[in-house]
Amino acid sequence: MTSTNILQVSHLCVDLYTTRAALRPVDDVSYEVAAGETLAIVGESGSGKTVLNFAPLGLMPTGVVTDLSGSILFDGQQLVGLSEPALRRIRGGKIGTIFQDPMSALNPALRIGRQIAEVAELHLGMTSSQAEARALDLLKLVRMSDPEARLRQYPHELSGGLRQRAMIAIAIAAEPKLLIADEPTTALDVTVQAQIIGLLKDLQRRLNTAIVLITHDMGVVASIAARVAVMYAGRLAEYGSVEEVLLTPRHPYTSGLIAALPSVDDAPGSPFRGLPGTPPVLGAPLPGCAFAPRCPQVIDICARRYPPLAGGAGTAAVACHVVNARQSKEQAHA
Amino acid sequence: MRRLRDLFQALAQLPRLAFLAVGLFVLLGVLAPWLAPYDPNAQDLLAAHADPSWQHWLGTDHLGRDTLSRLIVSARTSLVGMSLVLLIALSVGITIGTVAGYRRGWVEEVLMRIVDVGLAMPSLIVALAVIGIFGTGYWNMILALALAWWPGSARISRAVAVGVMNRPHIESLRVLGASPGRIYFHHLLPSTIGAVLVYATADAGAVALSIATLSFLGLGIQPPTPEWGQMLVDALPYLESAPWQVILPGLVLTLVVIGFNLLGESIALNRVPTPLPRRILLKRRAVAAGWKKAAP
Amino acid sequence: MREAGDLLRVENLVTRFKSVERGKWVTAVDDVSIRLAPGEMVGLVGESGCGKSTLGRSIVGLERPQSGRILLDGVDLSSLRGRELREKRRAIQYVFQDPYASLNDRQTIGETLTEALIIIGVKDREAQRRRIHTLLDQVGLPDALAERYPRELSGGQRQRVAIARSLAVEPRVLICDEPVSALDLSIRAQVMNLFLTLHKDLGVACLFIAHDLALVRQATSRTYVMYLGKIVEDASSAELYARPSHPYTQALLGSIPSADPRVEAHREPPPIFGDIPSPTNPPSGCRFRTRCPRAMEVCASHPPARLALAPDHHASCVIAAELYAHSHPAPHRLPMPA
Repeated sequence: MTSTNILQVSHLCVDLYTTRAALRPVDDVSYEVAAGETLAIVGESGSGKTVLNFAPLGLMPTGVVTDLSGSILFDGQQLVGLSEPALRRIRGGKIGTIFQDPMSALNPALRIGRQIAEVAELHLGMTSSQAEARALDLLKLVRMSDPEARLRQYPHELSGGLRQRAMIAIAIAAEPKLLIADEPTTALDVTVQAQIIGLLKDLQRRLNTAIVLITHDMGVVASIAARVAVMYAGRLAEYGSVEEVLLTPRHPYTSGLIAALPSVDDAPGSPFRGLPGTPPVLGAPLPGCAFAPRCPQVIDICARRYPPLAGGAGTAAVACHVVNARQSKEQAHA
Repeated sequence: MRRLRDLFQALAQLPRLAFLAVGLFVLLGVLAPWLAPYDPNAQDLLAAHADPSWQHWLGTDHLGRDTLSRLIVSARTSLVGMSLVLLIALSVGITIGTVAGYRRGWVEEVLMRIVDVGLAMPSLIVALAVIGIFGTGYWNMILALALAWWPGSARISRAVAVGVMNRPHIESLRVLGASPGRIYFHHLLPSTIGAVLVYATADAGAVALSIATLSFLGLGIQPPTPEWGQMLVDALPYLESAPWQVILPGLVLTLVVIGFNLLGESIALNRVPTPLPRRILLKRRAVAAGWKKAAP
Repeated sequence: MREAGDLLRVENLVTRFKSVERGKWVTAVDDVSIRLAPGEMVGLVGESGCGKSTLGRSIVGLERPQSGRILLDGVDLSSLRGRELREKRRAIQYVFQDPYASLNDRQTIGETLTEALIIIGVKDREAQRRRIHTLLDQVGLPDALAERYPRELSGGQRQRVAIARSLAVEPRVLICDEPVSALDLSIRAQVMNLFLTLHKDLGVACLFIAHDLALVRQATSRTYVMYLGKIVEDASSAELYARPSHPYTQALLGSIPSADPRVEAHREPPPIFGDIPSPTNPPSGCRFRTRCPRAMEVCASHPPARLALAPDHHASCVIAAELYAHSHPAPHRLPMPA
């Protein structure tokens, strides 16, 4: 199993330091992604899902320092402790990235064609003319209408959906083995979102790229992911296959989130279902379960010890004292 | 490599030095009458062209006046002049800029075209022309410089005011039906003044320089009031025998101008993120070291 | 048509902006008419750039419409000026999308609310305090929050404060522009329920501008669908979602992914092409024809008429009647948890 995993993250902790505070946005997180598979990482803002994916790549804003511990094996290479020049060779090369806002990720002063060609020159060692030809192929691959004309256009001349396609073309220009997509469709409209998801699925089939998709939209998760990791306050709450997590959620947070989705059976004017309280503000790691203050099933131990992620065969792994105690009891009965 | 890093670190300290220079200038200006060891205009022809000594730390000029006292009192002249110019220029500029930014439409068009005309002419030329017409004199100089400086602050104020007016919290006041007076005086004006004052810091140095320039040309501060530009021109004939008397006022003026420019720049760039200082990083790491690490 | 009883009526509204391209205009809202009955919850959905926010902003006076009328209680707002206009228009309040920018970060929550009260002439300190207590209570916030600054509050709390400020002037219509899309998933339901409660308790009418169709369906009784500056379809929410009769509405509803992976595995995304065109240069005739799977020749030459399909259901499409006849409730069109 391990041999086919392109990405294996184990016990990753990220400590993050700013001028104002020290925080731990990622605390003891483990997951893996197989080649050609899609893992969705679901969580609210401040759950640490973005730091989890971008801190190891050295993609943090100026003025923020991160310390990593644990291990990230990508394609047989250890990423934790890797130097910046080595990370730079991996970023945009073996690992492509797609951001939520393509306008701020694209260079406004360069033509689309040039920006794609640059990646091919840098990571594949192509000559300028080879790279230009590749840029055209890539625009055709991401199904841009009128690709020859698009090559010569600037980002501001494109609509949101076309920009995101250009962004995807750049991300796959160096034939990455892993694509990290941070909310790739959140800024897009629902009709365009459907097209972009279709495109990502199609590209994955053709290029056998693994995708880590960071999102908060359960619909997007259901339509593309094979596995799901649900994050809450820097830790994994639930981790399993998409069917297990979406259809039979076991962690109170996951089941609360999924129950909160408006359904066609809800009468107009009927109250919305949701979770009480507010998500915690990141800071020092909590001694207990971060979800305890909002949890309907909370018991004594929840506030004192944080529950480890544990799972049985055929079900998702869950970090919850109540669920895991029930499960071990059932196993004992059986 | 190491030396280069030291150099960069020294450069990073510059804003602090600038702050020191400007602080010293303001302090000297305010406390000049009490700090100056001598009456800056007391002549002592017997001690003319004295070299630095315990009595006269920086020596004396061609009339035997104490140079240190004159430099200190000049700081006051410069500070008061600069403040008056900026006060008038900013009042006019901010009023016109905020009115344009609030009203928009044709009012903005008309006001901004007037500002454009003002900006098209170099400020010193405007000042020279005004003094040429109305004659030399303290207030004429102040007004001439204010006239030269208001268009710049009007332009910045308008840009700031337009930004403020488009912020949702001002828009929500409009939706609440707040009167134009409330929006203008309670919200738009205070926000704009705060932002424009930052820009004014960088301008202050240029105003100080202009006052010295006009005084050097004999068009600004008139004797006997001590002023750096004037001290320079007084000492110029004796450049070869007493070069310090020329260099000192020039040096002080340069420091003040650079100080204001660097300070203005560092305030304006305050928002740009900088790498986390080592000292803070160590402190944060110490905090995190106390956290329980998950067993790998 | 219950026109006489309408609280808010927008007639043939046109709002244009100067385009970045010199001499060109962007018609963000093009000949739009909508109405709101007292205490009614109405949705306005469409993609970004379709003009839905501009329509809302034009109604509260943040944008100046080129032509058309906005009537509140039958009074044309464009016939009023100055103080009279401000006092009349105050009955329509606006809830902004971004709760971080809509509050002044230099005012405490109490000062923010007090200012709203001063604007409507509540000058007595004691009366102000009592009213602030009531307002915070109505939006479900503790009194202690009055001393705090916005930066100390979470997104959901700020949005509640913004709503409390709108309520301070006793509005009859709230125009909510994507009021929960900047909030976290688990907080959205809380704020949406607040709107439902306010609607029930205070009888405030709401125009809900959103791109989240599932949210709008549950919160509103009637929905308008907007595309490129025009209303293309309107109906009661239940009917619109069950029998969408404009190709655009059908595409919108068909594009929402379900949270059920079993459904998703077999779902085909609707055949809709590309992105929304630039409003600087909208297509001739029907504006949707460039992306429409059913476009015909006639669509390019004539803008489609607004057809009445049922007493409260209209769609602007030449084949609306046919689509209406063939449409039937589709159970898997909305996210449906197992």
